[in-house]
Amino acid sequence: MKNFLKITITIVLISNLVFASKDLEQERNLIKEERNNLALGWRDNLGYELPLPGTYSLYNIREAGDGKIVEENGKNNSLHKLMDGKITLMSFIYSNCTDTNGCPLATSVFFKIQEKLKENPKMLSKIKMISLSFDPFYDTPEIMKLYGKDLSYVKADWDFLTTNSLDSLEPILESYDQPVIRKYNNDGSYAGVESHLLRVFLIDDKKLIRNVYNVDFLHPDLLINDIKTLLLGNE
Amino acid sequence: MHLRKFGISLFGVMMLAASSFTVADETCMSPYMAKIVGQEDYVYVWTLGVEGLGDEQDKLVTIDVNPKSKTYAKVVSVLSVGGRNEAHHSGLSDDRHYLWAGGLDSNKIFIFDVHTDPRKPTLHKVITDFVEKTGGVVGPHTFYALPGRIMVSGLSNNKDNGGRTALAEYNSKGEFIATHWLPTDSDLRGAKKEGKYADGYGYDVRVQPRRNVMLTSSFTGWSNYMMDFGQMLQDGEAMKRFGNTMVVWDLHTRKPKKVIDVPGAPLEIRCAWGANNNYCFTTTALTSKIWLIYEDDNGEWQGKAVADIGDASKVPLPVDISITADDQGLWVDTFMDGKARYFDISDPFNPVQKYEETIGSQVNMISQSWDGKRAYFSTSLLGNWDKTGEADEQWVKLYEWDEESLELSHKWTIDFYKEKLGRAHQMRFGAYSLYSSKSENNKKEVTLLDK
Repeated sequence: MKNFLKITITIVLISNLVFASKDLEQERNLIKEERNNLALGWRDNLGYELPLPGTYSLYNIREAGDGKIVEENGKNNSLHKLMDGKITLMSFIYSNCTDTNGCPLATSVFFKIQEKLKENPKMLSKIKMISLSFDPFYDTPEIMKLYGKDLSYVKADWDFLTTNSLDSLEPILESYDQPVIRKYNNDGSYAGVESHLLRVFLIDDKKLIRNVYNVDFLHPDLLINDIKTLLLGNE
Repeated sequence: MHLRKFGISLFGVMMLAASSFTVADETCMSPYMAKIVGQEDYVYVWTLGVEGLGDEQDKLVTIDVNPKSKTYAKVVSVLSVGGRNEAHHSGLSDDRHYLWAGGLDSNKIFIFDVHTDPRKPTLHKVITDFVEKTGGVVGPHTFYALPGRIMVSGLSNNKDNGGRTALAEYNSKGEFIATHWLPTDSDLRGAKKEGKYADGYGYDVRVQPRRNVMLTSSFTGWSNYMMDFGQMLQDGEAMKRFGNTMVVWDLHTRKPKKVIDVPGAPLEIRCAWGANNNYCFTTTALTSKIWLIYEDDNGEWQGKAVADIGDASKVPLPVDISITADDQGLWVDTFMDGKARYFDISDPFNPVQKYEETIGSQVNMISQSWDGKRAYFSTSLLGNWDKTGEADEQWVKLYEWDEESLELSHKWTIDFYKEKLGRAHQMRFGAYSLYSSKSENNKKEVTLLDK
């Protein structure tokens, strides 16, 4: 009798989990379908007039987190060392992310920023751009090198980074409040990144976060304006 | 050449299937936020404790609202916060991991973790120095998600307990960033005063990021919202201390640009979702009107009264409003007659009432699902303003909305007095679909075993 109950409970439990899993998949598909308009950052024009750089405040939001990362050449380093002396734009991405308004948008905006600043090497030299992977399993340094190939072609300081393990990555994500949904197989093994909330961070040369952009604000003109505002504040 | 190269590789990756979170929410919250577009699993109700009832404390009440669950329409978690604070509004962080909830009297802000176990939230942090940090702001009201931050609108100040107040900006860790005072006649802060008023009062805050616009509305200060309602109505001086303005802000710079006259305490603000719908709605509590705040052909933001709500002479007292995801409908709750009214706003300049239903003896908040099929209602307005005696019902009710026949049908009621919980106020949604599959499967398992 005891065994019968145990088996029954197990069957109910498993069937409930299967239903739960199907429901969740349906719910997440609905979420994906909802998002079909191209974001602001894909347009040339921002759509409203920007204030003059330096005429507004970018508040200290909080300290930018540090953490152990791996560079494209396989060298271990720390985020803070890479940020030293620069104004940093940082986004979390993963190489096989295909959401139009996700990682490709962030990467595209970084690309456009270097395009727009290529005639201003003095300003460009003061900026660091970091694309750090969400996915240490698939995004090896070699993959990140391939991902960045051809993207950083002017004298922009743009790093394509990854981490050694989730153990190294999670504290970094936590310190930046960067949520990510991961997929797991039925046996509990890791199956990759499902989705994430797009965030790009503007970090000053004192390693303070001065702005956080999401899909509604991520436009190269706006970011350049904010970088100029920080640079004017340093003069 | 390089641009072309990038374009090709981008096109390639776009052909594959994956997604990030969406950037909107169930019709009334921050467009920066992930939203639940299907079935919500839980409703979190920020609830005022009542002397002599249960543990008498303010609490976060979690209701299971997934029809497939065995505990559907039941309270599955109660988290008391150790006292009464005049619990009022709450708002989710942009990642929906945390629910911020304020006390209008104690000025405490309670930050609940709703993602680790959506079925059983925990208290993550309490902010106790809101007044000191903000330089005298009192009455943390709206909690509005910006990327990595929360904008908190105040209702009052600690100098005169009147309506002059500010917005307070916090980071997602619950650390103070900045205070943005609302413009007044004596300090317009660079804003243009359009009409008679620049009262500096505050209430709600909403944004239209694509237009770089933030809007605030105006209510009344601590000296009024903590006063007995009947007594206040008899006090001529007190009745003069209500807001008559809305402020248009530059969202990016946080600078006020324009003060618009909106007489009669404009409360909740709901902005349209459509890509070209550059307008928001509010309702005025004392004059019972729907106002449209819109961007005109010259790019100027204007305010216009566009409809009456019931018979203004009977003071129906419009309270919460909710816009549908397709910008075609606006729900308006009126506290005094306990009614929900549905307006067709397909022409935003001419809202037309299509339906009304009495929900109870009093009604305050409404939260509708993204698809508009479900509407949850709750009762409490303020501890000292709720009705008394038998009319003081306190519940959360679910109705289903048939948009074809334009009809609400009642599904269930949870009586918050019978359950010894308190006065039901703000409702926010939670769902497993927002969080990692591994963790919610673990939670589901625990949940099922608990049963």
